[in-house]
Amino acid sequence: MHEWSIAYSVVKTLTDNFDKKVLKVTLVLPQFSFLDLEILKEAFDELKKENKVTQDAELKIKIAEPIFKCRNCGKEFKLSDVEKQLNEVRSQYGEEYPLHLMPELFPAFLKCPYCGSHDIEAKGQEIYIESVEVEESGAVTRTS
Amino acid sequence: MEPLRELAKEKLRGKKVIAVMSAKGGVGKSVISALISLSLPSSATLIDLDIHTMGIAKLFGIENVSFEVSKEGIEPAKIKNVNLISLAGVVRDRYVILPGRNQYNVMKELIAYSNIKTDYVVFDLPPGLGDEILVLEELTDYKPIIITTPSKVSIKVVKYLIDYLYEKNKKPIMVVNMSYFTCGSEKVKPFGSYEGDVNLPIDPNIEEFIGKIQNYEGEVKKVIEKELIPLL
Ligand SMILES: [Zn+2]
Repeated sequence: MHEWSIAYSVVKTLTDNFDKKVLKVTLVLPQFSFLDLEILKEAFDELKKENKVTQDAELKIKIAEPIFKCRNCGKEFKLSDVEKQLNEVRSQYGEEYPLHLMPELFPAFLKCPYCGSHDIEAKGQEIYIESVEVEESGAVTRTS
Repeated sequence: MEPLRELAKEKLRGKKVIAVMSAKGGVGKSVISALISLSLPSSATLIDLDIHTMGIAKLFGIENVSFEVSKEGIEPAKIKNVNLISLAGVVRDRYVILPGRNQYNVMKELIAYSNIKTDYVVFDLPPGLGDEILVLEELTDYKPIIITTPSKVSIKVVKYLIDYLYEKNKKPIMVVNMSYFTCGSEKVKPFGSYEGDVNLPIDPNIEEFIGKIQNYEGEVKKVIEKELIPLL
């Protein structure tokens, strides 16, 4: 259900920032949020109808695999290195588990597999719009 | 582009936003945030931005509850006229340790992904001058309420917060907590004298209402209703 909030935020961002028709929008999502992409697309297709800017927009989704860096021991690691930890969190909380709802909580739930520190940062953990293509009097312009 | 920030702004647009702040901990800020929310003339959303201690959930006795999630976001817990949003409803009874940048983003996510529908939004801020004030400033125009006690230390620390708010052209309402108790017809001031816009009495009974603050109808709430609410 949380997918609706995200779809709404994308439609809202597009209508606030563009006055020309948006043809395509590319959204990047962190892998560990495990968002249901079908629900997200369905929500986007429903919400986009409400205005001219987004009504013909196609949503493209990219999943980013985060690279973590421990600020204590300096080592880098990937999601696959902490998969067991992540699965424990998911089984403990169920479908609407904290990292699904609020990906920025990751340092509270994941720790460095080498030294155990929670002082970790991640590249590729944020939800962001990577690019937007708008209709420009017949031509197509790409905005990054 | 940051969809999260747009969404958080949208959630607070057109609302009366009140920020309950203090430079110092232990001055009774959460209790007062709760009582202000309960005293407002219509329904209010009370958002606990103290993401580490989550005191508001404990005050209302809902610290082990998981919030529902609907199409409109995380659904607040409804208690009387108060719609309560706390990270406790997401993580349940678990420690939350976060590096600075994540704290800032978690606060933003909490606002963006919650279903906020009321005209009033009250924020209970953690003590100090940090991420929470910057987040609020970026998202909305808020009315600051500063909580202090009459003690010299508290007043000195609060001065920094006042200086900062004045620099931002914001005039805070000063609330002095635990400032007196009534003994017969006399007001006794055991912790020193300091005049705020609103001076709240000491009520030792309030301790009994931790976990069920929604049932408290004592002297502190009466003064909040009569003197503080009209200033908002
Ligand atoms: Zn490490």
